[in-house]
Amino acid sequence: MTFATPILAAIAAAITIPLLVLLYFLKLRRRDVEVSTTLLWKKAIQDLQANAPFQKLRNNILLLLQLLALILALFAIAQPESEGGGGSGQRLIILIDRSASMTALDAGDNGQTARLDDAKEQAMALISAMREPGPFDRGDDAADQAMVIAFDSTAEIVSQFTSDRSALRAAVQSIKATDSPSRLKEAFRLAQAQRPQRFVENEGLDTGPGFAFHLYSDGRLPDAEEALPGSQDQVAYHVIGSETAANIGITALRAERAYDQPSQLSIFVGVQSSDRQRRSVDCELAIDAQTVSVREITIPAATAPTAGEGDGRWTPGSGGVVFELDQPAGLVASITLRTGDDPAGDVLDVDNRGWLVVPPAKQTSVAVVTEGNFFIADALAGMPLARLDLFTPSEFQNAISDGRDAIYDVVLLDSWLPQVAPGRTLPAGRWLVLGEVPQGEHGLIDRGPGDSAQIIVASRAHPIMQGLTLDALTIVTSRTIDLPEASPASVIAETQYGPAIVELPGPDFRAVVVPFSIMETNWPFQASFVLFLARAIDYLDRDVAEARAASGDARQFRPGQVLADRLPLGAERVVVDPPGDAPEQNIVPASDGRVVFGPLKRTGLYRLRWTGPAGPVDAVSGDRVSRVYATNLLDQDESDVPAAPGIILASQELSASETQNEASVKRYWPYLLLGVLAVLMLEWYIYNRKVAV
Amino acid sequence: MLRTPNPTRPESIEQLLDSRLIAQISRLDLTSRKIFAGKLKGERRSKKRGESVEFADHRPYSTGDDLRHIDWNIYARLDMLFMKLFLEEEDLSLHIVLDCSESADCGEPNKFLFMQRLAMALGYIGLVNLNRVAVTTLGGAISSPAQAGEVSSEARRRGSSLPPSPPRAEGRGEGSPVPLASHAIRDLRGRRRTQDLSRFICALRPEGGSDFTEAAKRIALTRRGKGVMIVLSDFFMKEGYETGLRLLVGRGYDVFAMQIMSPQEIEPDITGDLRLRDVEDFDQAEVTITAPLLKKYKQTLAAYCGELREFCARREITNLSVRTDTPIETLILDYLRQRGLLR
Repeated sequence: MTFATPILAAIAAAITIPLLVLLYFLKLRRRDVEVSTTLLWKKAIQDLQANAPFQKLRNNILLLLQLLALILALFAIAQPESEGGGGSGQRLIILIDRSASMTALDAGDNGQTARLDDAKEQAMALISAMREPGPFDRGDDAADQAMVIAFDSTAEIVSQFTSDRSALRAAVQSIKATDSPSRLKEAFRLAQAQRPQRFVENEGLDTGPGFAFHLYSDGRLPDAEEALPGSQDQVAYHVIGSETAANIGITALRAERAYDQPSQLSIFVGVQSSDRQRRSVDCELAIDAQTVSVREITIPAATAPTAGEGDGRWTPGSGGVVFELDQPAGLVASITLRTGDDPAGDVLDVDNRGWLVVPPAKQTSVAVVTEGNFFIADALAGMPLARLDLFTPSEFQNAISDGRDAIYDVVLLDSWLPQVAPGRTLPAGRWLVLGEVPQGEHGLIDRGPGDSAQIIVASRAHPIMQGLTLDALTIVTSRTIDLPEASPASVIAETQYGPAIVELPGPDFRAVVVPFSIMETNWPFQASFVLFLARAIDYLDRDVAEARAASGDARQFRPGQVLADRLPLGAERVVVDPPGDAPEQNIVPASDGRVVFGPLKRTGLYRLRWTGPAGPVDAVSGDRVSRVYATNLLDQDESDVPAAPGIILASQELSASETQNEASVKRYWPYLLLGVLAVLMLEWYIYNRKVAV
Repeated sequence: MLRTPNPTRPESIEQLLDSRLIAQISRLDLTSRKIFAGKLKGERRSKKRGESVEFADHRPYSTGDDLRHIDWNIYARLDMLFMKLFLEEEDLSLHIVLDCSESADCGEPNKFLFMQRLAMALGYIGLVNLNRVAVTTLGGAISSPAQAGEVSSEARRRGSSLPPSPPRAEGRGEGSPVPLASHAIRDLRGRRRTQDLSRFICALRPEGGSDFTEAAKRIALTRRGKGVMIVLSDFFMKEGYETGLRLLVGRGYDVFAMQIMSPQEIEPDITGDLRLRDVEDFDQAEVTITAPLLKKYKQTLAAYCGELREFCARREITNLSVRTDTPIETLILDYLRQRGLLR
């Protein structure tokens, strides 16, 4: 037992105890009363004193009781505590992991409580054990103060430093689990940012006394080694959950279409098991809420760590399954692991489901506009194209005017340019231009036919030119072009007279321009011609593919990420429908159609609904357009649920601390004050007994 | 117990005794365990044979006897001289000793007022029965000697054995109280002296202390005849009451010691830390009134009264403890008759 304010108590004792004794020895100010005779009184007093040998003591018992009460009060002023905490309070930082793995149901005394609830309970116990502000403490300095930070992939201050324990409890209670992975580093960084910067003379900046971190986590902290507490900080790691918890979860999920058969869809499901026994689970694939396939997966047991290697943790077993489907259309697939009825066999639920938003199968559609250049059509015939159509210039001009050209990803123009409005270079689209020079605002400058030339410089770094050599190309009649100043065009290959192959990006088009006529070269007879055409179409199409990815692969998110997408211009009344019971939220798209929502906290399907134009793969129902985004945990660390008995920070290694030391500071002064009250009541009783008439 | 803040000071007999009480006590007479010889022939039979109309006995004549009392009829029949003896009727002295010390002026009802009323009532009974009534104070003062009537004081009579001076003429201006060792009014007899008695009693003011022994000595020396002596006091005397009572009990007086106590003296109602001051000698006692102390006080009081009672019993003094809240009618009509003072 120590005393928080012994000096104060000593001063008070030095003043009050002599004062009390002095007061007691001072003559009582008695009321003067005239009586008929003092004879009997004096006799009575003499008799009383003669008859009561302990009369002195009887008189003094009030003094003794008062002294006892005073001493108790002085002890209360000294604020005895069960454990020495020094004169000033600690600054505690309570870090509570709210990541997906904290929803595992393996904590608590019964082993079936959610880890987060257990962590909250332990944190509450810590808060209850915090040193309160004593009755004689000035300000909050003497009391323990705590800050509560909840973290998953991001960290959030739930409560600033305060000594108000009920506020802290409410803050801890308000923490809700998310499905995000854990990132400890940011939590520490956030805590360090709260450190008051104090300037101490002759010593420079001082960060004050260290924080006492209390980390409530299961230790699934992949970035723990980057977390850096201050040099004076103490970190206590309270491990939550069981070290032998078994969990089976989806850790990888991917849908791919065959390159040559785009309608062939393969869905890969990677499953991980931390069970120390071999497990078989059913993996169920549902497409648009209809179960289409169930496959059994056998996952090997987790393997024990080899001594002296790694962090001493068991390596989870992993397995996988591939679902093969013939689905040309876009779809939303959901994968569910059926892990059996035993809750102990799979403590974490959030990783048992996965969702995939698969875009429709699509391949490049190419239009060739030529007056009859059979080389080109032959060269393209071997490519895996969704569509290859031949147009004459006049036909294609008609197609542009009635919008039929929009279905083609890339258009190859052979020695012809479509008519465009004055000042424009090319219509919107992807163009491979052979034997012509697009001119105009964003175009090139045509210097007319030139002499025979050869390619002397080729940009090897350009995707089109990788692995392609044009050394053998001889241009009989070259065409000299120039790039306008400040043109965004880039030269892919050059002859001795200037640019020979140019990539020309425009505001709404992209083009690769080969200005010379290939009929005036030996190129059609070379293999590099076919390769060039294929590469150029691929390259131009890749922009489209990237845009498509935005509607497919880019609709896969992880918890903690921010959903960002671009809606068609004119989308109105945009709402996000989160998974589960969460209410819809309105969001307002930016002027360019960009919408941002997040961070995404739960796994599942997020639906974005709006009124207005639809994108190419959006579902339309009535006047509402919807677009689906999938959020999957897919985190090996989170699914590997066995609690880590220790974690390694950047500066120190932590092992799970005993929870007993939380019940640290017990304050006795309220009991002492109760004792004072009791003694005073006793004294009052005795006094009344003595004077009772 | 406590000094009465504004004690009632009666001005006349009407304030001392109401007429109904007077009517009741007029029928009473003083009695005594013995018949006392007196100076004046009163209505009281004496043990002595004497001159009276009531025949008592015969006895043989012896030389020197009064020839007037020879029973000549006997002589005629028997030729022997016999004396006729008659019962002698004697008057009875009623001597009331009144404690006029300041300690009497305490309590509620006031002890002194109670004693004044009691003295007046007893004195009246004595007067209407043609007894010789005297009142002597212990200490005290006379507010206006002029009103006090036939007053003799120890101081004035000291050095002279003159009988009490006759009642003084009225008309002297009222003076301030005259504190003296004792005051007395004597030799009152007959109903017409009632006013003198009441004036004297009303003029008394309790003051100072009382030297009971000294006063008793003087009373014993100066009283004449035999009779009944009633001492009205609280008997809380620091010097002791024993010597005084012993002096008074001699000389054939039938002594009644009436201990007058206020209810507050019997059941103190004071509390707290007090400095008790004696009203007579200003002696101080610092007490903290506690339950044990009160208990002890009552024990002490009981013991004190018991000692007094025992002392009196040994000396044939009739002791009577009276609370001042006792109605005076009850006291006179019941208690004193039971105790044989009145009949």
